[in-house]
Amino acid sequence: MNYLAIVGSNADKSTNRMLLKYMQKHFEKQANIEICEIKNFPVFDESDITNVPEPIKKMVESISSSDGVIISTPEYDHSIPAALKSVLEWLSYVSESLYKKPVMITGASHGSLGSSRAQNHLRQILDSPEISARVMPSSEFLLGHSLLAFDDNGYLSDANKVKELENDFSQFLQFSDEVNQLMKKHPVKRTGHQLWELNK
Amino acid sequence: MKLIGIVGSNAKKSYNRTLLEFIKKHFSDSATIELLEVRNLPLFNESAKQDIPVIMEYNKKIQDADGVIIATPEHNHSITSSLKSLIEWLSNDVHPFNGKPVMIVGASYDVQGSSRAQLHLRQILDAPGVNAQVMPGHEFLLGQAQNAFDSEGNIKDSGTIDFLESCFKAFIRFTNVINLLNEPEDLEVTPGKYDVTAIGHNGKIPMSVEFSEDRIENIDIDTSGETKGIADTVFTRIPDEIVNGQTLNVDAVSGASITSNGVIEGVANAVKLAGGDPDILKRRPKANETEKIEPKEYSTDVVVIGGGGAGLSAAATVLQEGKNVILLEKFPAVGGNTIRTGGPMNAADPSWQNKFDAIPGEKTTLQGILEIDEVKIDKDYLPDFILLKKQITKYLDETTDEKEFLFDSSLFHRIQTYLGGKRVDLKGNEIFGKYDLVKVLTDDALDSVKWLEKIGVEFDNSEVAMPVGAKWRRGHKPLKNQGYAYISALRDFVNNNNGQIITDAPVKKLIIENGEVKGVISRNSNNQEIIVHASSVILASGGFGANTKMLQKYNTYWDKIDDDIKTSNSPAITGDGIRLGESAGAELVGMGFTQMMPVSDPNTGELFSGLQVPPANFVMVNQEGRRFVNEYEGRDVLSKAAIENGGLFYLIADDNIKATAYNTNQEKIDAQVEAGTLFKSDSIEGLAAEIKVDPSILRETIDKYNSYVESGNDPEFGKNVFDLKVVKPPFYATPRKPAMHHTMGGLKIDTKTHVIGKSGKIIPHLFAAGEVAGGIHAGNRLGGNSLTDIFTFGRIAGKTAVSENLQEK
Repeated sequence: MNYLAIVGSNADKSTNRMLLKYMQKHFEKQANIEICEIKNFPVFDESDITNVPEPIKKMVESISSSDGVIISTPEYDHSIPAALKSVLEWLSYVSESLYKKPVMITGASHGSLGSSRAQNHLRQILDSPEISARVMPSSEFLLGHSLLAFDDNGYLSDANKVKELENDFSQFLQFSDEVNQLMKKHPVKRTGHQLWELNK
Repeated sequence: MKLIGIVGSNAKKSYNRTLLEFIKKHFSDSATIELLEVRNLPLFNESAKQDIPVIMEYNKKIQDADGVIIATPEHNHSITSSLKSLIEWLSNDVHPFNGKPVMIVGASYDVQGSSRAQLHLRQILDAPGVNAQVMPGHEFLLGQAQNAFDSEGNIKDSGTIDFLESCFKAFIRFTNVINLLNEPEDLEVTPGKYDVTAIGHNGKIPMSVEFSEDRIENIDIDTSGETKGIADTVFTRIPDEIVNGQTLNVDAVSGASITSNGVIEGVANAVKLAGGDPDILKRRPKANETEKIEPKEYSTDVVVIGGGGAGLSAAATVLQEGKNVILLEKFPAVGGNTIRTGGPMNAADPSWQNKFDAIPGEKTTLQGILEIDEVKIDKDYLPDFILLKKQITKYLDETTDEKEFLFDSSLFHRIQTYLGGKRVDLKGNEIFGKYDLVKVLTDDALDSVKWLEKIGVEFDNSEVAMPVGAKWRRGHKPLKNQGYAYISALRDFVNNNNGQIITDAPVKKLIIENGEVKGVISRNSNNQEIIVHASSVILASGGFGANTKMLQKYNTYWDKIDDDIKTSNSPAITGDGIRLGESAGAELVGMGFTQMMPVSDPNTGELFSGLQVPPANFVMVNQEGRRFVNEYEGRDVLSKAAIENGGLFYLIADDNIKATAYNTNQEKIDAQVEAGTLFKSDSIEGLAAEIKVDPSILRETIDKYNSYVESGNDPEFGKNVFDLKVVKPPFYATPRKPAMHHTMGGLKIDTKTHVIGKSGKIIPHLFAAGEVAGGIHAGNRLGGNSLTDIFTFGRIAGKTAVSENLQEK
């Protein structure tokens, strides 16, 4: 499996980045995970989309050629960061790359809740018709107190959390496989752009 | 009523903007509404600078408004990233929405009218960092907005207008009620004096707070336990602001936030003890929130930037030469890095040093000099090196094994500074100290000591000190108070001789007219400009050890400088003077070479925790309990060895070694043991357990070390200067880790401290002294040489600035 993992934070230091790096290493035998940053992307502006930024174009390609996407989100003010929202707006406006794409959501936060409210918002956003991603249901990986969760080598130190993540990840392997097979059987093409127009 | 309307779309054409413009016009009788745009705002980044002007402007406008109306479109079932970004900016460093009444409206092309986005927005505005008071109910959803307005931007449907009017009327009532909740409350306490304990940087600070029925009347703090210098400002300024403003909403003093917050929390606890609610005082506005203040202008002969040892000695010299001086210090108190030093200052003073006995191993060091091949000595230094060898041979011939005295000479100091600074960086560039600068440093060092004595610094003549990495005992150490001794004496001298010191005044730029430096412009924490016109400008603002980005940018010496590297420097030391010098066209030298202090606190980077003993008594063990380096080596060898051994290591001491620590007392030691930052045990095995190493390994390490002390020979790592064995319980282990300590590179100067431009010519009227200048210590600075540097070149800068620019006046 080839997955693209999106770091949902544009901060210099991010425990969501650490979580994805850990997953990349820990699951290297089961899947090839490429990590993608959202730092320094221009903020989405629907009235100025003639020049699609290069990093967005690259991301569209990476998502399209992947078997699934993992998004790890922090929580800012009970929701996802503006930087992540902006990237999703770009993707949904200029491409159909996330259409029926299997997505796994993870999240880490410094507090105890592990970005739970942001993850719910993210599910709703990914489920909007303009995006129509296939988010894996009934599993949520919430990493609370994330500043203390990793050891010096970047490994998750709590064995129970590791087990939970392994469980979620093996579900995702299965889920993405099923979704992709269905997609092959019933390919449908639409563009996000058209849907935005439709919605207007 | 004054309201703010936020257009939640960054699109050029937006029906949400049209909607707000209609609201503004339609309700102009009952409220004045100013619209704020999210278009062209930068995307929020928590790692970026937070006080960008447009965000500060929005913050102020929202704070001053009675309420806020937000109009949101819906993108992907949520609010736009550009609106979310604005809310993130306004909920991180500043919090203008706190308690603010907010009404949500929204328009969209489809029938939904942004219904899902509005629900998200409610949840977002309810988050603790935002904490807005959103009006419940009254959902105004304008669907199919493209058909809703006429050509003048008025809503066409009268039913819709009726509903908007009822929503708006409810919002006016809601705003009035909520703002009543935001009214400041009176404090009610039982009058009297209450004793509390605040937690300061060095532990507990007892304080006593006196109340009348509704006021804090007085705050008394027992300051005896805190470090002198920076904390002094906290103990005067914070209580003043609290009492004068009757508020606990005061800013921490920069560089001393732990102690500042300790004092604020201490007063809060006293309010509780007195039966009051400290939150009332915390919610009050800041004591010194003032409108824009007029700039202040000064004219003087010489302006000095930086209130550390270099700047203060430059200022003192200007006054001695009979001219006027203004010194600008970025922080609330003078001191810079000088106040943080242990105090020993290198200066060869043979007639004094000769009175002391040599210690084992020093002879080997001298013989080592004789064995150096002259081919390896750079030609500038060769004549001095040959002379030094003659001096050493004479000394070795004249002394017998029974009676050896401590040798030294300024030539030896010069050659050691040169050899100690000679390094090759990762790119293969070799660097060594510029001969004429090193010559001035070592020739004038003793004069600097004598000058400081005249200014009022008392030195301890009973001992020749040697800080880490000094390579030789030639340190003159103040009798008390370490680095503060220099600062307090110099500051008093400047104040008593009509010099002017302005603190809280970071210099932002040099005034350069027609290519000539004419003065400086500073801006203080109240945003007031301070303009100083002067004939000479002396840069003495220190290096850039506390500026990680700059360290990483220039680094050519270390494999890597970590993002989270600690520093022993004051947080003020961010390379300001180097940038100012560059703005005048200055050339930089040796910027890639920086020095780590191997024996720093692993958590804070500071030097003065734990037991800091002379290197002859260092016993360094790694995280396995084994020695890993010759402890007598210079700083960079020690740092490199420590980094190779995982960074963290321990200094092992016994009761006798503890007595040689120059930074501490039993009370501090006990407090640190209790806090778990210093380990103590009655046996070596017990100590091993404390630091989680194998007891048998640590035992073996210590036994071996003791045998080397006895034989005076260390076959493992070649340590050859020993003092005490590790034998007498209790035993101690001080955790240490290398931290950024000194930046050797800086502005290129000549022996008169003129700053040299890229063209190779002197930049008129501009001088630099101390760590801001480069070329002296080259690749590695000897311990004890920076104080020599700052006092020697600081004085020269003061003298040159007067003699060259002011002689005709």
